[in-house]
Amino acid sequence: MTDTALAAPDARNVAVEEDALPRLGQSRDVQRTFRLVLATIWLTDAVLQIQPFMFTRGSNGFSGMLHSMASGNPGFVAHTITWNASIVYHDPVLTNALFALIQFVIAFGIVFPRTVRPALALSIVWALGVWWFGEGAGGVFLGTATPFGGGPGGVLYYALLGVLLWPRQGGDEPFVAARAVGARAARLLWVGVWGVLALLAVVGSGREPQALHDLVTKAATGQPGWLEHLDKVSSAFFLHHGTPTAVLLAVLCVLAGASVYLSPHFMRLMIIIVAVAFAVIWVAVQNLGGILAGGATDPNSGPLVVLLALLYWPIVSGSRSRQGGVEPRFRVAGV
Amino acid sequence: MGTPSWLYYLFAVAMLGVAAYSSGLFGRSLKTSDPVGRDIDVAHFVMGIAMAGMFVPHWAFWPAWFWEAVFFTLTVWFVVRSLQSLQQYGVHVPHEGIHAVMSLAMILMYLYPMGATGAAMSMSGSSPSSHGILDPGVGLLLAVTFFGSAIFTLGSSHKGSSHHGTHRRHRSAYATVGAPVTMPEVSAAPNTIVRRGLDILTMPVLEDLSHVVMCIGMGFMLILML
Repeated sequence: MTDTALAAPDARNVAVEEDALPRLGQSRDVQRTFRLVLATIWLTDAVLQIQPFMFTRGSNGFSGMLHSMASGNPGFVAHTITWNASIVYHDPVLTNALFALIQFVIAFGIVFPRTVRPALALSIVWALGVWWFGEGAGGVFLGTATPFGGGPGGVLYYALLGVLLWPRQGGDEPFVAARAVGARAARLLWVGVWGVLALLAVVGSGREPQALHDLVTKAATGQPGWLEHLDKVSSAFFLHHGTPTAVLLAVLCVLAGASVYLSPHFMRLMIIIVAVAFAVIWVAVQNLGGILAGGATDPNSGPLVVLLALLYWPIVSGSRSRQGGVEPRFRVAGV
Repeated sequence: MGTPSWLYYLFAVAMLGVAAYSSGLFGRSLKTSDPVGRDIDVAHFVMGIAMAGMFVPHWAFWPAWFWEAVFFTLTVWFVVRSLQSLQQYGVHVPHEGIHAVMSLAMILMYLYPMGATGAAMSMSGSSPSSHGILDPGVGLLLAVTFFGSAIFTLGSSHKGSSHHGTHRRHRSAYATVGAPVTMPEVSAAPNTIVRRGLDILTMPVLEDLSHVVMCIGMGFMLILML
């Protein structure tokens, strides 16, 4: 390109520009925007994976972290976890570098149209593997998989989001999640998720005040002052109101699950309520996944549940676009 | 087993790569008298040099107060540019905004250089104990902001937006559209190789890539400080 061309583009260049550039305020592909948010979380996980301690052996290293997940699990689960942990123990640098690389590949793969499908497929497989080997099946077999602590496993939401954000042409009605799998399947998944969360909130140790109290106090170690203070408040609250709070969460989950078959107004209300509830849980109970204490590899379930809920935000049909498709009323200003 | 020093060297080299690339862009902008994105080239250049010194302490030079002053100036500059953009184009996320946040993050990294992990953080001339440590919540928020910026920059339909924003209607198609537009006059020019080299330098994908590398490097350093 000549200097002249740079300083004063010719008419052809300007035409290309005008055709290719979306206007400020133009409707954006909402499903893609959600995918980019998911990719951001994957990238955060990838960088958390390369923290120095993750390359080390011992109880504070990655292998130690994995090995601790076997404790209390049934034999067939525990054996597979210890087998995986032993592989990591023998070569922590190589295995951790590989694990981080996979997450970087997923994060950047989701961004580009050509690689989004393989990346999402990989993310689903990877998430299921991490759920089993890295989270000890989320504590499901131990009866400790309360949604307050991230049960049934924060990483499962990555797999679910991978399915619901699978790229597919079409409109975003009645909600973005329906675009990938169809409205009926999306509704069933929604009901399934909230049904499981409601159940886990009141079974096992999920409704025991002492267990919920211990969940918070255990996570409070090493947190910054303001979060430690918040933990004291929430752990004391659980000790006195643990069971009613667990029941209330279960009721909220049931209502949220049912809302997908009720009016859009009610569903919006429930989405706001559960999003706020899980945002509070993420900070005051899950301690942002323990990241601030410097020993975590993911943010736990809080932000992923909020993202999942937003995928079901009812979208009312808007004006017909020039191409004859439906232009959603979700409008995002261009950056 | 100690901490992986190779990882710090890897990041340091990447940061220096961004600095070198940005200096090339800056040189080209001087040559073509095209000031668009020049401030970001300067910012990426100094950030790259400073970040390399953070990852590998013996590569650091000049006292911390000097770098703090540099990044304070850049922060003010990008805040003013963001406000101007808001004034001109209405409510939106101005691309100068992320560079204001990056400059602010650099100041914080100099003010609170030592985290719990401590490694690779002893910058020359800094006094770690004088300011305590950066609140991990702030560090995480900044890191996630940078990761988001990296992802959304790559996913943006405005290629090169990390340097030129989305409002540069009069910028050449090459710098804003993303697809290399064939320019017959380039191949006809006598000093083709030099010109092609310069054009490769200004490829939008490379501009965005330098921003992405910087975001990840800075985010990683902030995670180390938790």
